[in-house]
Amino acid sequence: MKFIINREKILSPLQQIVNVIEKRQTMAIMANVFLQLDDHQLILTGSDLEIQVTVILPVDSTGIASTTIPASKFLDICRLLPSNADIKFQIEETKVIISSGRSRFSLSTLSPETYPGFSETEPKYQFSIPSKQLKEALSKTTFCMANQDFRYYLNGLLMNISNSTLKLVASDGHRMALFQDEINQDTGISNKIIIPRKGIQELYRILDLTENDVTIHVCKNNIKVIADNVIFFAKLIDAKYPNFQQILQQAFLDPIPVQKQNLKEALTRVVILSNEKSKGVTLDFDVEQIMLTAFNSEHEEAEEKVAIEFSGEPMTISFNGQYLIDALSNLDSDIVFLIISKDLSCCFVEESTQAPYQYIVMPMTL
Amino acid sequence: MVEGSKSSITDKLINNQVSNRKIIHIDMDAFFASVEQRDFSELQGKPVIVGGPPHSRGVVAACSYEARKFGIHSAMPSSHAYRLCPDAIFVTPRFEAYREASAIIREIFYSYTTLVEPPSLDEAYLDVSHCSKHNGSATLIAKAIKTKIQQHTGLTASAGISYNKFLAKIASDINKPNGFYLITPEQGKTFIENLPIRKFHGIGKATETKMAKLGIHNGKDLKKVSLQCLKENFGKAGLYYYHIAQGIDPRPVKTNRPKKSIGIETTFQQDLSGSAVILKQLQILLKNALEKTAAKRLSPRTLTIKIKYQNFQQITRSRTLTSPIQHGKAANYLLKELITTTDVNHRKVRLLGVTLSSLEKHSNYHQLDLFDSIS
Repeated sequence: MKFIINREKILSPLQQIVNVIEKRQTMAIMANVFLQLDDHQLILTGSDLEIQVTVILPVDSTGIASTTIPASKFLDICRLLPSNADIKFQIEETKVIISSGRSRFSLSTLSPETYPGFSETEPKYQFSIPSKQLKEALSKTTFCMANQDFRYYLNGLLMNISNSTLKLVASDGHRMALFQDEINQDTGISNKIIIPRKGIQELYRILDLTENDVTIHVCKNNIKVIADNVIFFAKLIDAKYPNFQQILQQAFLDPIPVQKQNLKEALTRVVILSNEKSKGVTLDFDVEQIMLTAFNSEHEEAEEKVAIEFSGEPMTISFNGQYLIDALSNLDSDIVFLIISKDLSCCFVEESTQAPYQYIVMPMTL
Repeated sequence: MVEGSKSSITDKLINNQVSNRKIIHIDMDAFFASVEQRDFSELQGKPVIVGGPPHSRGVVAACSYEARKFGIHSAMPSSHAYRLCPDAIFVTPRFEAYREASAIIREIFYSYTTLVEPPSLDEAYLDVSHCSKHNGSATLIAKAIKTKIQQHTGLTASAGISYNKFLAKIASDINKPNGFYLITPEQGKTFIENLPIRKFHGIGKATETKMAKLGIHNGKDLKKVSLQCLKENFGKAGLYYYHIAQGIDPRPVKTNRPKKSIGIETTFQQDLSGSAVILKQLQILLKNALEKTAAKRLSPRTLTIKIKYQNFQQITRSRTLTSPIQHGKAANYLLKELITTTDVNHRKVRLLGVTLSSLEKHSNYHQLDLFDSIS
C-alpha cells in the first residue's frame, strides 16, 4: 500500500501527536504512531493512555491498511527532510518504507491489533466554542493549575457547564483563576469535570492549528475535542473539585482601584530582594498609597511606593509577589481592583465586575 | 589506565594542589564501650557490648576489645553476639555520657585547628596543614592530641596521619588501639598498591564481591583498571576509586556538614501487621521527623519511607513535592499514597523509617492555602 504526502502537510500534526507520546515507555507499542490508511484519508494517532491525539489528512490513495511505527524516528525523518519535499510511504508486512528524493528509510513496525485506542462512548452532552475564545480562556487560567500536588484533583482544570455558561477554574491552593463566559447555546445541562494538566497543555497547543469553532463532547470518563481535522481525547480526573464558594461569600472591604502597570512594575522591582523561594512582599495600605517592602535572608531590603485612591483604615497584608504579578499580567484593563476580605484572609484581583476573569491570591503570614 | 596517558595531567594538577596537605584522622578506641569501662570499674577487662539486650532485636552499637576477640563487631544483631559470647556484659547505651566525652575531645581538636570534620561522635578529620603548633609537625600534633585526650577523658584514641582523608583514615586503623601511624606522600602509592580491597574505606562487601569478579583484589589491581571500566561498573563512585588507586583524594576537611536529610527509624519488638497499624506508626515517625526539621528551621520537600519486612527484605518509597511538606492532613495523605505501592497489607513488618530530604531554609513567610480555610 502506497501514498504520498507533502512534508509541510504532515509535519505539524505529527509534532502534536509525538508531543503526547511518552518518551520513556514500558509498552513498546505506546512509543509508536498508529497509522491508518482509509480511502483517501491518512489517520495518525498517538497516545499515552491518558491523552490521545488523532489527525486526519487527505491523501491520494485508495487502499485500506494500518500499522504502527516508532514515533520519534518517524518525526525526525519528516522534520529533517528538505522543505516542501514529497514523502512517499509504502506499508509492507513488517516494515514501512519512507522515501523522498534520494533518501530512503525502512522503519520496523509493530502490529496495530494490540494498539489500545480510546473507546468511544456516547457523549453526555456537547457544545461548540470558537477556538479563539477557548484558547484565551485557557491562557488566562491554566497557569494557576497545581503541578504534582498530592491533592491530585488540583493538577487539572475544572470545567463547569451550566446551561449556556462556561466556567473554568484552576488553583494550586495558593492562588486561583476563575473564568466565566457565555457560549451562546443552551446545553440544558449542569455538569462539572476535571481535565488533567497534561491534557490541558496539549489541548492548548492543538487550538493553535485552527481558527474555527471546536466541538467538545463530554463523555462519562473522558472528553473529546474536535478541532477541524484533529480529534483530541483526554481521560478525566475522577474526583470532586473542592467547593470554594465559601471564599466568595465572605465579607469584603471596598474595592481598591490601582493603576495596573504602576503596581506591576513596582512589584517586579521589589521582588528582586524578596526571599528567593517564598517571594514574600508586604503591602502597607495607607492614605493615598501602598508601600511595598521585601527583604531576604541576606538582610537586603527593597521598598516602593505606589499612589492609589484609598481612604480606608490602614492595613498590612503580605503576598507571594510573583503570584500578584502573574494575576496582573493576565488582566487586560489599565485599572485593576484589589478586593481584600475583611479578615485579610484572601484577595481578589480583577478588572471590573463584568470581566470574565478574576484571580484570587492567598496572602502570606509573617 | 596507566600513567602518562592523557588524564594523568589533570590528576597531577589535583595531586599537586592537595598532596602537600597534612590530614590527621583521630578515631576513639571502642568509644562507647571504653566510656562504660571507664565509668564502671567492674566492666574493665571484660567483654562489654553496648547496644540492644541479647534477646531483643537490637544491634551492637559498640563492643570492647575483649568482646571483639569473640568475633563480635558493631552493627551485628545482639542475639548473634550473645551466641558468640554468652558471658558478654550487655549494657544500654548512655548517649549523654558519650556526647559529653565527644564534646571534650572536639574542644581539644579546635585548640589546634578550626578545620575539624567530625563524621560521628567518636572520630574526626583535622586539616593541620596551616597549624603552627609543634613547628607544624603533624606527627607531634597528633601525639599531643592523643595525650590530651587521655588526660581529659581517660580514654585512648588512635591517630592516622597522611596527605589525604582516605589514607589518614586507613592509617588510624593500623595500630589500633592506642595506635599511631604515618603514611608519607612517598609511601602513599606503594601502601595503596598492597592494600586489600576490603580495607578501602567506602568499599563494602557488595562492592568487594563485584571487584573480585573483575579480578580486583588489591590497590595494585585497581590501579590497572581504566577509568571508563570503573565508571561503567560503579557509576559515580568509579571516579573516586580511580583516583584513590593513585593515592588521590582531593576531598577537603569539611568543617560543618550541611544536613542533607533527617531520618528516624524504629525496629519493633514485635512485627507489625495491617496497613492501618503501619500507617499509624509512620505518622508518628513523620511527626517526629518534621519536628526535627522545624527545630533546625528547615523545610523538607522529599519524603522517603523505609520498610523492612519480616524476612529482612528492605524497600523504600519516596515522593518529592513542589512545596514544603508540613505536618497535618497533607503529610498523612502522602504517607497513605506511599504505602499503597508496598506489600504492607499482607506482609509483616519489622522496621519502619521516615526520611525527610530536599531540605531548604525556612522562609519567614508562611503561604496560606485557599482550601485549608474551607472546612
